[in-house]
Amino acid sequence: MWDAIIIGAGISGCSVARELARYQLKVLVLEKGHDVCAGTTKGNSATVHAGYDPDPGSNKAIYNVRGSRMYPELCRELQVPYLKNGLVMIALDEEQMEEVRKLHEMGQRNGVRTEVCDRARILEIEPDMGEGVIGGLWVPDSGMVCPYNLVMALAENSARNGVEFRTSTQALSVERDGGEWLVSTPDETFRTKYVFNCAGTHADRFNNMVSADVFHIIPREGQHLIMDRDFAPYVKTTIYPTPELLPGGGHTKGMGLMPSVDGTLILGCNADDVDDPDFSANTREGIDKILDFFEARWKYMPISKHVPKFPRDAVITAYGGSRAHPDRDDFILGEPKDAPNFINLAGIESPGVTAAPAIAIDMVKILVDRERPALKQDYKPGREIKKPFRTMTAEERREAIKADPDYARIVCRCEQVTEAEIRDAIRRPVGARSVSAVKMRTRAGMGRCQGGFCSPRVLEILCEELGLDPLEVTQSGGRSNILVGRACEPKEGEA
Amino acid sequence: MMMKTDLVVIGGGSAGLSAAIEARKNGVEDIVVLERSPYLGGILRQCIHNGFGVHKYKEDLTGVEFAKRIADEALALGIRCIRNTFALDISPEKVVTAMNPEDGLFQIQAQAIVLAMGCRERSRGALMIPGTRCAGVITAGTAQRYLNLEGYLPGKRVVILGSGDIGLIMARQFVIEGAKVERVVELMPYSSGLARNISQCLEDFDIPISYNSTVVDIKGRGRVESVTVAQVDAQRRPVPGTEFHIPCDTLLISAGLIPENELTKAAGIAISGTTKGAVVDDSLMTTLPGVFSCGNVLHVHDLVDHVSEEGARAGANAARYLRQEPAPAGDQIAVEDGFGVNGAVPQLIRREGPETVQFMFRPRDKFRSCAVCIDRDGECVKRVSKMVLAPGEMCTVSVERSLLNTARDKIALRVEV
Repeated sequence: MWDAIIIGAGISGCSVARELARYQLKVLVLEKGHDVCAGTTKGNSATVHAGYDPDPGSNKAIYNVRGSRMYPELCRELQVPYLKNGLVMIALDEEQMEEVRKLHEMGQRNGVRTEVCDRARILEIEPDMGEGVIGGLWVPDSGMVCPYNLVMALAENSARNGVEFRTSTQALSVERDGGEWLVSTPDETFRTKYVFNCAGTHADRFNNMVSADVFHIIPREGQHLIMDRDFAPYVKTTIYPTPELLPGGGHTKGMGLMPSVDGTLILGCNADDVDDPDFSANTREGIDKILDFFEARWKYMPISKHVPKFPRDAVITAYGGSRAHPDRDDFILGEPKDAPNFINLAGIESPGVTAAPAIAIDMVKILVDRERPALKQDYKPGREIKKPFRTMTAEERREAIKADPDYARIVCRCEQVTEAEIRDAIRRPVGARSVSAVKMRTRAGMGRCQGGFCSPRVLEILCEELGLDPLEVTQSGGRSNILVGRACEPKEGEA
Repeated sequence: MMMKTDLVVIGGGSAGLSAAIEARKNGVEDIVVLERSPYLGGILRQCIHNGFGVHKYKEDLTGVEFAKRIADEALALGIRCIRNTFALDISPEKVVTAMNPEDGLFQIQAQAIVLAMGCRERSRGALMIPGTRCAGVITAGTAQRYLNLEGYLPGKRVVILGSGDIGLIMARQFVIEGAKVERVVELMPYSSGLARNISQCLEDFDIPISYNSTVVDIKGRGRVESVTVAQVDAQRRPVPGTEFHIPCDTLLISAGLIPENELTKAAGIAISGTTKGAVVDDSLMTTLPGVFSCGNVLHVHDLVDHVSEEGARAGANAARYLRQEPAPAGDQIAVEDGFGVNGAVPQLIRREGPETVQFMFRPRDKFRSCAVCIDRDGECVKRVSKMVLAPGEMCTVSVERSLLNTARDKIALRVEV
């Protein structure tokens, strides 16, 4: 019997796990992916939004603003890089300046610091901003985080405090049994008092199994490009154009240029509805939308001062993800009236990464107020992890190598990831079990060569650490094996 | 504590070892070669096919044999090669920071440096190939490593994107290992590999090749299940309606190599936008005096013999620099790419120096019965006839310095059809 089962180990599920881990409760997280953070949270714009643009009074506005204020301390506690670089929404003409003033007003109503800037003020903030930018909105409290880095840290910290994680374990159904819930997976049925529905683009299925108050999640894909770290020094702030209104009403932030916490640049994204809730691909149309957008508007971007033409060959990779867009146009939170102890964290689309830590607190409060669980005496808020080698000073590197000579063995040369860090990523709580899981935890394979040089060595280390045969190692669980056979095996028809 | 050395060579592949050997033969005693892997020979170690050494040794060797010869020669000359050692940084003052598990982090003050770090492969990400994120999309060199060094087959039903030499070699090898190679897909109307590889690796094994085509989609959950191929128009954009699917479990990418100049850039050395290698003068010296560049880190070669020869030149020039022979007087003359010429190296010509200057470049297109012209301030001073030029084969021309060193403005190379 579990006190709580969390369905889904993305930013919502892992934030809830960490909040529950503070109490003396038996908590289980079920994740159908091969690793935590394998779905929606993995592929987004990595922005910690300040909260100037959601509709005032909406769940999105309330939790965005609260979540955003939690980030500096949360990231410090979990030793996750967080960059408060601010956001500039650029205006190219008077009409767009009018929109800027409207958003400034919205920001004021949401309690977010914003400033309407003329060109001179914009140049104080981003000195190389391109010609043609006449002004814009300055949002100093916008920041950047690496969402999967944060989810890994939340999961690790929860596990350290006793939460159990089961990956590659898909919850199939939830049903009421007396005052409790039964959550079934292909192999096992779990009994629990509370269910936290954090199933991302699948959250509607679970809600609609237990409640007459049905809703639907429409997967909305977004694709991004990543640009080589050579270009990051030329831009400090996150830059967005003034949003264009969508034909169906409302707006998205549109295409942005985001300096990532890891020193690369993120470009994107588009927003198109798709049928597949697990969509994480890239499409020609999606990629072209981003390329065309930045090629046409490159002259406004600060980098254009140094690199006049959009440097297509500096793109090192593309990624895609799907947002959990709800048909109610706001986060769907809390218990449906007819399903007590079943708590939704549904429709968590943008600004979901920012809002999740604040949402988790309120959702866990429902359980805590009702059950009054005791706090854990030995709760550990932090995480024991060394700085990445790449960001160490010479002195720190010397010390790290002295303590563990594996720090002197570079496995991923593009991102300078050492063997020590890869072994640690496998050995940690909720450790890596695949090449992709190593990549998400260490950045090995995320650089310019995209794993060409390091993946054979990463595979070898996974075998050494986990006692696997090379043929068993997968890229990302399931049947994603990297190798399919031995060389020089006798061929069919041969002796 | 800082080590002091006359010459540091970064990279123990064929370029770096050739440079070290030649520097030693030219009297440099104090040489250190830094090699990141546990072995010397670089990428040649995984090249078990033949075709190496035809120029240098007048013998047809495998890559492994070529690597062993050159490594043995370096070791016989007593050149100090430190393996498992990763160079982290080169400062403008020529201090090299490196590390290995035995010595930890250390620094070497060099008088001269030869850069010989080689190149990397263009990835799926850089090509922005759409599709799902499944296993089985792999670059040709990585597949070569799995197969030849680890003994594992990375796929059984293979489509190859790009007709670079490694891809062609791997096509043949996949067939020999019992895999099926469905097709090679090449974006351009011609191969980017050597003609001999097209004939020996594809034609001899009945592997079809589609020119003017590209992969527009990758499908598969888990592993690759199929790729979609389409023809492209003159602007290299896919033509709608020409798509067809090929069921397969692997997409092998062999679509170009990129010099690995992260250390070069960190040292503040100028990089050519065309070759992606350092800008060098005709002694292969970069814009940082005393730092030379050679092999695939300077520009991507087709033949290891040429890599080795260029390495030797860099080594000899580094020795000359260390003897402090007076630097040639006067400014340097800029070299420009004219019609049909891509990435001519060197990019700068000194007014004084050895009698002949050697240029290398990649033709932009296929040309027949043509000539390479060298223009001095717009006037053709040398014309070298060529039967055929192709992007897959590096073109080399030698010119007397006396024809060039009176240039007031610039020298240009172009193809005359």
